[in-house]
Amino acid sequence: MKIKLAISALACAAAAPAFAGKPEVVSTYVAIAHAGYEDSLIKARELQAAVDALLAEPSAQALEAARHAWLAARVPYQQTEAYRFGNAIVDDWEGKVNAWPLDEGLIDYVDPSYGGASDENEYAALNVVASPSFLLSGNEVDASQITPELLAETLHEADAIEANVATGYHAIEFLLWGQDLNGTDPGAGNRPWTDYAAADACTGGNCDRRGAYLKAATDLLVSDLEWMTAQWAEGGEAATSLAADPDAAITAMLTGMGSLSYGELAGERMKLGVMLNDPEEEHDCFSDNTHNSHYYDGIGIRNVYLGEYTRADGSVVSGESLSSLVSAADPAVDQALRAGLDNSVAKLGRIKIAAEAGTSYDQMLGGENQTGEALVMAAVDALVAQTQDIQRAVNVLGLQEIGFEGSDSLDNPDAVFQ
Amino acid sequence: MRLALLLAFLPLPALAGVAEAVDDQILPATERFAASAGALAGAAAADCTAPALRPAYQDTFDAWMGMSHLTFGPLERDGRALTIEFWPDPRGRVARTVRGLASEADPVVGDAAGFAQVSIAGRGLMALEQLLYDEELSGYGAGDYPCRYATAIARDLAAMAEAVQAEWQDHSRLMLSAGEPGNPRYLAESEASQALYTALLGGLEFDADQRLGRPLGSFDKPRPRLAEARRSDRPLRNISLSLAALRDLAVALSDAPIPATQAAFEAAQATAGALDDPRLAGVADPAGRLKVEILQQQIRAISDAIEAEIGGALGLTAGFNSQDGD
Repeated sequence: MKIKLAISALACAAAAPAFAGKPEVVSTYVAIAHAGYEDSLIKARELQAAVDALLAEPSAQALEAARHAWLAARVPYQQTEAYRFGNAIVDDWEGKVNAWPLDEGLIDYVDPSYGGASDENEYAALNVVASPSFLLSGNEVDASQITPELLAETLHEADAIEANVATGYHAIEFLLWGQDLNGTDPGAGNRPWTDYAAADACTGGNCDRRGAYLKAATDLLVSDLEWMTAQWAEGGEAATSLAADPDAAITAMLTGMGSLSYGELAGERMKLGVMLNDPEEEHDCFSDNTHNSHYYDGIGIRNVYLGEYTRADGSVVSGESLSSLVSAADPAVDQALRAGLDNSVAKLGRIKIAAEAGTSYDQMLGGENQTGEALVMAAVDALVAQTQDIQRAVNVLGLQEIGFEGSDSLDNPDAVFQ
Repeated sequence: MRLALLLAFLPLPALAGVAEAVDDQILPATERFAASAGALAGAAAADCTAPALRPAYQDTFDAWMGMSHLTFGPLERDGRALTIEFWPDPRGRVARTVRGLASEADPVVGDAAGFAQVSIAGRGLMALEQLLYDEELSGYGAGDYPCRYATAIARDLAAMAEAVQAEWQDHSRLMLSAGEPGNPRYLAESEASQALYTALLGGLEFDADQRLGRPLGSFDKPRPRLAEARRSDRPLRNISLSLAALRDLAVALSDAPIPATQAAFEAAQATAGALDDPRLAGVADPAGRLKVEILQQQIRAISDAIEAEIGGALGLTAGFNSQDGD
């Protein structure tokens, strides 16, 4: 008995100094997700209240208050994006709330420079706000009442075109700010509050329908976030399935970190915009809030690794971290990854600093703006470099293949035969 | 116990195929692309009208298919892969940018350094395709603006191809010294083979999901106009050439016979060869569509074979891919 105890004590000491168990690491991950989606929901409800106030009594102040509520709502939501690529339940859902980029002419009036229907999207200039009925993919659509169901079930991704974004943060953003017609010059969208005014004061036409659209989109955002918050609560599907398979959960954590860092944020959202010199390639393009949406993506990636999240009310959710798990396997890999995450957050922070001091993200995309390009590309490089360290963490933990995001063949081998 | 320990300290066999992949597939592909792009620039200097440039454009695109899957290292730097070929282009930016430059007769085409700062939608093979094959644009004469614009694109491509070739010389040394002290990029031998393995699977995924998946669209809404480089009749040719390059890479990377992988490549290449539909326009009718769907399934089956045969044997799994994301 005594000998056996001594051996097992020795074995523990040798194998796992200060070892954090995978189940504890996973429960931190789930707790942060739940807090993040719940914060997003709380802030979306505040946005909903601000929209209701705007529609009840339109004014410049009420529009400004709704814009502020939208900006605040983005802070927790963007931090949850680190959950997207590792978790099918999030990835399958996120298009409802954060689809981008959008052909905004689907929703409302646009400037003539926008152009009309395109080869790629014949509904790019449909203008639902101005159209109580229209033909869509050969079917007559009754849009006399603009409801959440109309947006979610008929208009969103209409004609199987992803740019037909009818719901979510960016549709609401467009309805609050309007098009940003300043190109790579200073200035965000400048929709007048009178776009929501009654009777003769109404500008842009169809103010009641525009208000109905804004209301429907905001209500839908709230209900979508209610659903996702429930998935991460105790007994929810996301929480339960991750707890049941901690190895798969750890893989999901690192997959989400790496895919958001590399292909999505560094590639699709940042590098592409710089290389196209195109302000439409800006994630929060109507509000000029892109510096924050990128920054909080970076914070969210680091949260997952450090097992720590600062809630919207200032309280902190924390617990056993992925970092401690990696450190137990290989301290050098952990150290490099922590340093990499700090570096990317710092580089994304520089973009935020410049933007808040008046040089907006779309200005940084200008073809002539070498300084802006350097600022954005430094963050891109940091994100690409940190992906290599995330990869090393995957390898030292001996995890199985990370998910290849977006591939039906690998996510779901049966899909190809359907 | 002792055997297990010994095995644990044996060097991993993972480096086995890196030297072969570099020597047999990658470096020859970079040389060929540099030579073709150089010839394209030379042809433009002699005669920049569309009929005169088309053969060299086709050769250059052919050569590009030998390396478009190498999305890390020199092609990742400065976003070169995207600059050389900006595709997919879901918002039609290439057509808009090329027409914008042409309608303004933007003088930037006269200055190589300035042109290198132009939006990538106005540079590279896809922009050149607009000038050489679009019905409205391609009729320009030797003294017209588009002629100078095409020359600028050709020179820009040649410069990038040359830089990529030179940098691959360095990068291949980095891969071959993976895990040695002072190598900051590849900290272990397995990291170099994992990068190639990821590129291999990423290339197959791109062929199936993008090159075929985009024109396939959905059954109710096929999108033949979204096929890659359809104006220059390249959609099917690109698939065939890409498969050939990926097959060479797979063979080089493995240090054992890979019969299942070889058979899977053969099946897909045979289907592509028999398709007789250069633009993949057949996706719009049920019979033609079925053939393209079969090809897509066969390409996905290659990935499965590679994972079993090469991934399993070398202990490799795919890493993060620059095309992860939306």
